[in-house]
Amino acid sequence: MTSRRTWLPNWLTSEHPLPWLFPVTSLLLVFGLYPVLYSLWLSFFKRNPATRIEKFEPSWNWSKLLADDRVWDAVQVTFTYAGIALFLQLALGMAIALLLDSDKRGFGVLRALMTLPLVVPPAVTGMMFLLMYDSSFGVISNSLYALNILSPENPILGTGSTALWGVIVADVWQWTPFMVLIMLAGLRALPREPFEAASIDGASSFQSFIFLTLPMMSKIIALAVLIRGIDLFRIYDYVKVMTDSGPGTATETLTAYAGTVYFKSANFPYASAVALATLLLVLVTSTIFIKLFKVRF
Amino acid sequence: MASVNIENLDKKYGALSVLHSLNLTVADGKFVVLLGPSGCGKSTLLRMIAGLESISAGEVQFDGVRVNEVHAKDRNIAMVFQNYALYAHMSVRKNMAFSMRLRKVDKKVINEKVEWAASILGLDSYLDRLPKELSGGQRQRVAMGRAIVRDPDVFLFDEPLSNLDAKLRVQMRTEIKELHQRLKTTTIYVTHDQIEAMTMADEVVIMRDGYIEQSGSPMMIYDNPNNLFVAQFIGSPGMNVLRCTVVEQDGRLLAQHEDQILALPADANVTAGQVIYYGIRPEHLEPVKLGEGEGAVGGAQAHIRVVEPTGPEIHLYASLAGQEICCISRTRTQWQPDEPIVVTPDLEHVHLFDVETENAITPNH
Ligand SMILES: Nc1ncnc2c1ncn2[C@@H]1O[C@H](COP(=O)(O)OP(=O)(O)OP(=O)(O)O)[C@@H](O)[C@H]1O
Ligand SMILES: [Mg+2]
Repeated sequence: MTSRRTWLPNWLTSEHPLPWLFPVTSLLLVFGLYPVLYSLWLSFFKRNPATRIEKFEPSWNWSKLLADDRVWDAVQVTFTYAGIALFLQLALGMAIALLLDSDKRGFGVLRALMTLPLVVPPAVTGMMFLLMYDSSFGVISNSLYALNILSPENPILGTGSTALWGVIVADVWQWTPFMVLIMLAGLRALPREPFEAASIDGASSFQSFIFLTLPMMSKIIALAVLIRGIDLFRIYDYVKVMTDSGPGTATETLTAYAGTVYFKSANFPYASAVALATLLLVLVTSTIFIKLFKVRF
Repeated sequence: MASVNIENLDKKYGALSVLHSLNLTVADGKFVVLLGPSGCGKSTLLRMIAGLESISAGEVQFDGVRVNEVHAKDRNIAMVFQNYALYAHMSVRKNMAFSMRLRKVDKKVINEKVEWAASILGLDSYLDRLPKELSGGQRQRVAMGRAIVRDPDVFLFDEPLSNLDAKLRVQMRTEIKELHQRLKTTTIYVTHDQIEAMTMADEVVIMRDGYIEQSGSPMMIYDNPNNLFVAQFIGSPGMNVLRCTVVEQDGRLLAQHEDQILALPADANVTAGQVIYYGIRPEHLEPVKLGEGEGAVGGAQAHIRVVEPTGPEIHLYASLAGQEICCISRTRTQWQPDEPIVVTPDLEHVHLFDVETENAITPNH
């Protein structure tokens, strides 16, 4: 075959994958890999807050991190937050998806309405809930006071035992629709025949759900848990807007702590170490999850 | 065990009506086969009996009790689906055991039953495979297994043998019949294979376009088809049908097809000049070579096209005044293609049909 461009090396021709992969690869390298490597590099310096001089001392920040109680508190808060929010979103998402999985008239509109919370910016959601939790005029607070579940002396976000729940509710409100969407996609793709066979075999709808729906949906559920789980680990906006890690450090997650170290103490090397620790935690947890539940992409 | 009653059953999908006021009684313990061409509504009827399809009008009764509102899971039926409907994430063993597991049957009993079903169905070595690791025929057998491990009031089979090879099909046919003779469970069996219907059924129900054309014992239907459709649908090779005009010769009524003349039964309820369909089954049309077997009265002349020896008999496909016919020879005659023959109908077994309504013309008595 004669080509007019024989002077081009093979790996630059359109038949080779490299030219096609180049743009996205370079984006990933510049905006993904470089910052991570730079953070790693940064975390090897010891910063003197007074003199603002940074000195190369690779183990300084990492040993400080391991000895820092606030880090371990933050790890605990992060896991609690992610665990509870994930469970609620999963359970609610599945329940709502089951309710919306119908071909009856009007359900299409309901499914579309369900996704509305997803278009609200998370910071706005946080501010919205902040208002609803307000102890003098907030609708949620006032309802809870009226029902004698809470008292005005202990405002939701101002009390250590309830603040995290307050933030979780905002997260659940915003992200449950995402779970609903994924679950609905899965449910609507399920074949009808096995369910007919099961009802002939004498299965109630609950038994069909346990023995057919759940196993048939397991891959999709695992994927949803993974996506939401990773997202929940990097929770920052709701905490920042609603409690700013307070009261005290009751709602301080790892990313919130990293933010504090970075923006308030301006200790960039240590903030890098905390941020990298978060990344490490996400990687390890999700890898264990992937291996455990054999998630395939 | 239960009898199944269907009264004025209608099925509509929106404006499309697929079953029209069906009436059917299946007595307790009977083996009834629903037979009809593709799309006539067999599966729909079966699924309505199972409770999987809503009932537009009419009633389904088990033992005389209306079950329209009873959920499928409470009807105590077992069903084999046309498309298998296996549980994809469960092994063959679990597929078959599922119904028993739900009813909390003892593990040992479950295992025994599953292994019994597997040995009947030749699935012993596949028990731990997933459905996706099986061939179409094997999947169909798993679906069968799932039904026969149950102890239901009614068995519903929707073309359960359609994907098996010829040998296995004959074998399974016998197994199912034996099973029915042993368990005496009311069975409704859908097929479009008329041999299956003839060999297995206590009663055959022939359907077309959402209507029941005729029902009765296989032999009764075979010998006395109500109309042209039933006559041609039952029997293989199919009944020969010739469009004839009734003519009168020497005071006798005869049927004329083109230039050929065929005898009519003495009690035929026809008049000269009437146009009729003249139906005769291949085994009732006796061929002889032209010039031999003199005195064959009322025979017509034909030319052999194809000779098909089947072993016990020889099928001759011939052309009678341009019309393809089939006749069966039980002698060891050396038939040759292109040979002229004379075919003589057995007047005991001639079926006459009206050309307009296609209904059978019942003889005078
Ligand atoms: N969900 C549906 N919506 C509309 N029409 C349907 C639906 N299901 C079946 N039909 C129609 O009803 C008629 C009967 O279908 P059915 O499946 O009962 O046929 P069948 O006799 O079982 O055919 P086969 O031998 O091919 O399985 C067909 O004409 C089909 O097109
Ligand atoms: Mg069908």
